[in-house]
Amino acid sequence: MPLLKIDDLEIEVKNGTTVLEAALENGIDIPYYCYHPALEIVGSCRMCLVQVEGMPKLQVSCNTFVGEVPPERKVDGNFDMVVQTQNDLVIQERKNILEFLLLNHPLDCPVCDQAGECYLQDYSFKFGNAHSRFDEDKRVRPNEYLGSQIVINHNRCILCSRCTRFTREISGTSELFVDERGYSSKIAALEDRPLNNLLAGNVADICPVGALLSTDYVHKNRIWNLQKKSSVCQDCSVGCNIDAFYQKRKIFRLNPRENQDVNGYFMCDIGRYGFHRFEDLERVARPLFKSNGIFSEISWDTAIEKISNKFNGAEEKVAGVVSPFHTNETNFMLGRLIKGIIGTFPHIEDEEITYPSGFRISSDRSPNKRGMHDVCPSIVDDLASEINDKEIRVIYILDNEIDKEIDETWNKILTKMDFIVVQAYAMTRLAKSAHLILPGLAPFEREGTITNDQGRVQWLRSVLPNNGESRPDWEILNLLYKTGERFSDINELMKGMGEQFPSYSGMTFFKLGDQGLPLNGNLKT
Amino acid sequence: MATIIKSYEPTFWDKLYIPALVQGLLVTFKHLLRKKVTIQYPEEKLIPPEGYRGLHRLNKDANGRIKCVACDMCSAACPADCIDIIPGSSPWDDGKERYPVSFEIDLLKCIFCGFCEMACPEEAIELTEIYDFSDYTREKLIIDKDGLLDVYDKTKDKNYYSNSQNLTIKE
Repeated sequence: MPLLKIDDLEIEVKNGTTVLEAALENGIDIPYYCYHPALEIVGSCRMCLVQVEGMPKLQVSCNTFVGEVPPERKVDGNFDMVVQTQNDLVIQERKNILEFLLLNHPLDCPVCDQAGECYLQDYSFKFGNAHSRFDEDKRVRPNEYLGSQIVINHNRCILCSRCTRFTREISGTSELFVDERGYSSKIAALEDRPLNNLLAGNVADICPVGALLSTDYVHKNRIWNLQKKSSVCQDCSVGCNIDAFYQKRKIFRLNPRENQDVNGYFMCDIGRYGFHRFEDLERVARPLFKSNGIFSEISWDTAIEKISNKFNGAEEKVAGVVSPFHTNETNFMLGRLIKGIIGTFPHIEDEEITYPSGFRISSDRSPNKRGMHDVCPSIVDDLASEINDKEIRVIYILDNEIDKEIDETWNKILTKMDFIVVQAYAMTRLAKSAHLILPGLAPFEREGTITNDQGRVQWLRSVLPNNGESRPDWEILNLLYKTGERFSDINELMKGMGEQFPSYSGMTFFKLGDQGLPLNGNLKT
Repeated sequence: MATIIKSYEPTFWDKLYIPALVQGLLVTFKHLLRKKVTIQYPEEKLIPPEGYRGLHRLNKDANGRIKCVACDMCSAACPADCIDIIPGSSPWDDGKERYPVSFEIDLLKCIFCGFCEMACPEEAIELTEIYDFSDYTREKLIIDKDGLLDVYDKTKDKNYYSNSQNLTIKE
């Protein structure tokens, strides 16, 4: 292993590590723009220059590899490479590079959506000059749409080429390229192929400045007003790790969060813009009971009493419908409660997309199908005929998704029922057909665990506060149990779930952490 | 160690009271002859000095459009957290991309420190000389974008209090 000395730090690194990677891993700050761990190295921004002993000029640390050298060529007879990142020459050079990058960059931070999370802003503040020596007119170009969701502001672009490399290497669609040469260079999309692939939103994320903007977030808010919470995307069974940015009760944007075992650094646009469909819903805030076709608000106690009365004595005659959109905990609670039959909704299938980089959008567009089958093994295939056979008259449904049409089979099932309980967060078509609606939580309000299609359990964290009198879904089901069988909190519930399903035993939120854990026995350790 | 302060013992001269009375009256008569400083508010109004920090205004540019670009710097600088801005893409397409869709200042929260005008990169928000803007409800004291632009029209000539129109007493 080569011995590398960066400033005062002596570290052993793997053969072939770049100086930048070694420095970042060991907490030494080297500024950079064009380097991205998922993309090919180009060394075009020149921001990460460092001084390497024995080399006549400064080197770009992102493209300088550390390797073993013969003993007679070792520096001080010991080190394979000695690097200076903080000396006067390097600092002066950073200043010069920034001056070049800022030549044509407008001073429009007040209107730029990147302000607050902009590397150019940060490094200018840290290393740059306070005044520009550039007296000439700045180059001004109008904004352009690269695709339906992405706008480019050419003036702000520093031509790091992260976006073009992204479309070449990650999405494999190669829509973006650097047009023209030298001073006239600019990022452009092919005329006949605009940037409309399902990973396009990521180019706005990886842009180190405010040049590429997502029209969904442009001029919506400032980053310092938003709070961030890590969560998991719920739009397909891959379960990409995300950061949700929200203010008060509204989500403003979702960004991918790094998780090498699931999504790498990116997420797809289905998930990225998917949160909008939960906005402006007709929410259910209190338990609703239908009498003479009109819903009226009732208290939680009355609602629970009404359901218990229906369930009592006819426990074998109750059907439960679990949902792949709910957490393992909720599905487990319903599966354990219902003594009759357990069914589920038809699966939501769509096109499966795999990109050359290995990034995958699953054909199963529900987040927790695998987890649902894990914790409810007795799910029947044909719910309608089973209900016929067992003459079931009471059904308890965990609502699946908003604005789903009720098809023929479901219509048949619902008309047969004497009593329909729907646990929903919005007035869906299914909820409207119910006799009793219990207000649960919307997708970004829920907390629990979900299992992706690869068998990785992840912690789904609540982002937004509860709405009105609505309660966590598992808690509602908990109330329907007899007093002795109830769980005191969600940790107890997870323990109970682990006892019944050994693959989930030993699971806690703390152990799952930010990255989640695979199911194959690793939970126990 | 604590010091003991003895109370003042009045002398014979003090106990007469008449000299003190005369002294006091002398001050009164002196002021009777001086120029009066009382202002007959609200018929008459005090014109505050330059740099007085009163009611806010949102400035307009040469085209009569709002100068503000909704950068949120003022609300970030505000120690009372009284500024609430909803930004949006502007309806104009001549380079001004961003403008406030809604701009509200809660005057009851505001402490008139002037940090907002210091933070503003566009010189869009300013504190004016207006000091009398009391009202009967809390809601009326949340001033919105149109209200702030109106204040600009009233105060742009710096003659708000010398302008006779504003001197009439409102009901």
